[in-house]
Amino acid sequence: MPHDRPRRLLPHWLAPSFGLALCLLAGPLHAAPYTPTQDTQVLETLPGRAGDATARELATLRAALAKAPNDPDAATALAQRYFDLALARGDPRYVGYAEAIVSRFSAAMPAPLLTLRGVLRQYRHDFAGGLKDFATALALDPDHAVAHAWRGAIFLVQADYAAAQRECDALKRLGRNALAGSCQGLAQAYGGQLNASYDTLQATLSQVSDPDSRLWLLTRLGEVAAWRGQTARAQAHYREALSLGRDDVYLLAAWSDFLLDTGQPADVVRLLSAWESADSLLLRLAEAGTTLQQPTAARHRQMLTDRFAAARARGDTTHRAEEARFELRLRNDPKTALRLAQENYAVQREPRDARVLLEAAIAAQDSSGAEPARDWMRSSGFEDARLRQLAQASAKPNQPGDKP
Amino acid sequence: MMWQRLFVSLLLLLAWPAMAHKASDSYLTLQVQGEQVTGQWDIALRDIDFAIGLDADGDGTINWGELRARHDAVAAWAFSALTLTRGGDCPLQVTQHQVDEHTDGTYAVLKFVATCPASTGDVALDYRLLFDLDALHRGLLRLDVDDLTHSSVFAPDSRRQTFSGERVSQWTQFGQFLQQGVWHIWIGFDHILFLLSLLLPVVLVRVHGGWRGVDRIGESVREVLWVVTSFTVAHSITLSLAALGFVSLPSWLVESAIALSVVVAAFNNIVPMFNRLRWLVAFGFGLIHGFGFASVLAELGLPQDTLVLSLVGFNLGVEAGQLAIVVALLPVIFWLRNTAFYRRGILVGGSLLIMLLASVWLAERLFDLKLISA
Repeated sequence: MPHDRPRRLLPHWLAPSFGLALCLLAGPLHAAPYTPTQDTQVLETLPGRAGDATARELATLRAALAKAPNDPDAATALAQRYFDLALARGDPRYVGYAEAIVSRFSAAMPAPLLTLRGVLRQYRHDFAGGLKDFATALALDPDHAVAHAWRGAIFLVQADYAAAQRECDALKRLGRNALAGSCQGLAQAYGGQLNASYDTLQATLSQVSDPDSRLWLLTRLGEVAAWRGQTARAQAHYREALSLGRDDVYLLAAWSDFLLDTGQPADVVRLLSAWESADSLLLRLAEAGTTLQQPTAARHRQMLTDRFAAARARGDTTHRAEEARFELRLRNDPKTALRLAQENYAVQREPRDARVLLEAAIAAQDSSGAEPARDWMRSSGFEDARLRQLAQASAKPNQPGDKP
Repeated sequence: MMWQRLFVSLLLLLAWPAMAHKASDSYLTLQVQGEQVTGQWDIALRDIDFAIGLDADGDGTINWGELRARHDAVAAWAFSALTLTRGGDCPLQVTQHQVDEHTDGTYAVLKFVATCPASTGDVALDYRLLFDLDALHRGLLRLDVDDLTHSSVFAPDSRRQTFSGERVSQWTQFGQFLQQGVWHIWIGFDHILFLLSLLLPVVLVRVHGGWRGVDRIGESVREVLWVVTSFTVAHSITLSLAALGFVSLPSWLVESAIALSVVVAAFNNIVPMFNRLRWLVAFGFGLIHGFGFASVLAELGLPQDTLVLSLVGFNLGVEAGQLAIVVALLPVIFWLRNTAFYRRGILVGGSLLIMLLASVWLAERLFDLKLISA
């Protein structure tokens, strides 16, 4: 029985040249170019002033590299600084700067530079390339803890917990207790041992004093507590993390998700109203605003549409998990959401990736679409009650051919 | 070193790639007509500042005066990183400097022209902007070569790209539209159901308020010919009129009328009204279906230089698709014509189902609802 009106099928079957033309038409639209009338009109605000501390530091590093363009240490120092800036400011342009520097080297790269190249590769979701670089770096220097840590992180995202565990063990052997504890805590949480994970993260927290590590551990403790169904405890961890007073996109996103899940969208709007520039936070802001039927929500949804379109135009596929959630919750297009969530799940398999896949499959009434997430739930034994319910709901036979 | 900080940041990063801001893109639009080229290139002010410096007073902002003072330097820098060739180098000349807003900030807009040595042949582009400084930079190209549109992305590993200046041959185009015509009738469920409703009774004749199977298949074939030919002639007329721009109807009206035509045709099988005058129904509603085909053709984009040929190709495709359906259907229903299964199950039951489905379509299209459509 046909379920589609024929006109709606068109874009899928158009000959490639027609499809291309349509893609171009559907691309991001911009205002028309204009000529400013006043010389004093400010057009752009740069990320830093020429004289500030960061700019001075970058200038020094650039000068050092200019003096010795073939020196891998000078290159690593500047590229690493750019990469740190990318993380602190959430600005991918700095990743591009770092990669441009690293890509000038090819043969005979020392372990730190190789590791940095691996880090930049995984940033683009080239996990295979990243793992290869880390392996080469570790062959050169088996005690290079950073390479172990990154490798562990990639294995966690790929849901290969046995491999991740080996990296955690290596970190422990090298005496990197905080790194090892963080690695271990996550491996346990994803691998179905929430209680053990909580204890590991707590124990690690008691050993570290620097605010960045505390913030990270408290955020993860909040997530684990929420998965264990301990709402009050999760809230306490998140609030303690927030009280450190550091801007952190991941913390704000995790806390916002917690607030959305517990029916407190108004708090999300208050928290994130100044964070429109961060896509992941803009998504949460738009969800909260839509739930509350606020007039700003439509503008936020449009901004997200534009940003995803811009990413697609440059061939960037690293936003698919967020885009799936956007299609599912804000555009009510479960089919597109499911496609994106499936594409994302083929690359990244963390609990949040499983969740959006399950939710999209349920909304699209496509039980088999969520099969990989249910497989992961079974094999990992992941314990979150919400995810278990979603997995059950997604397995309901609402499609002919499904086993009851 | 801050290993903790590194580990902290690495896990954040895996979860939040490329967030908050956008990586660097430039937008290059080119129209190449013969040897004449016009173009527009949007480059982010931030990228220009990083490459050649714009913030003269060092206050962390860029104003129009600062950009204006560097216009020549911007053009020289940008054009040194882009080579356009058609039969040889086409030197780029800036005609106007403007600015525009994109999702991630303000961009300088360079409008330019160029003249190429040759007016035919391939167009090649060599794009090198910013790649030495920013490995994630991408050049997003939209290129029209003699009315043929290309789009592409320049990256460090795809700097040089060549675009065919060859037009698609007329007969290739004809073949493409022929295929589209066939394909459209096959996936156009409303057209199929309309045709099916009209064809189901051709193996029967109405006698004293009841149905009797025809004796020879020839009788049915004659009936089919009348119906299909009427439908074809009618929709060819309106398809051509609409595609050539002489007539246009609002699409909700066309879509609704098509749904109505299916309802009427199916109802006629349950409560016969037209009997031997089905060809007239086919002709009347065929006029409406033609407008429906025309809207598909409009979406495909009819090439202006081979307008008639493409139109004929599409139309022939639709006929061929129809014919294939009839050829497959007729022997089967002729064989089944004297069974109760056919008369009650297929003719009456099937028509009821078709009517139901088409009624839902009708309601959807009239009131812009989504009932069964995905």
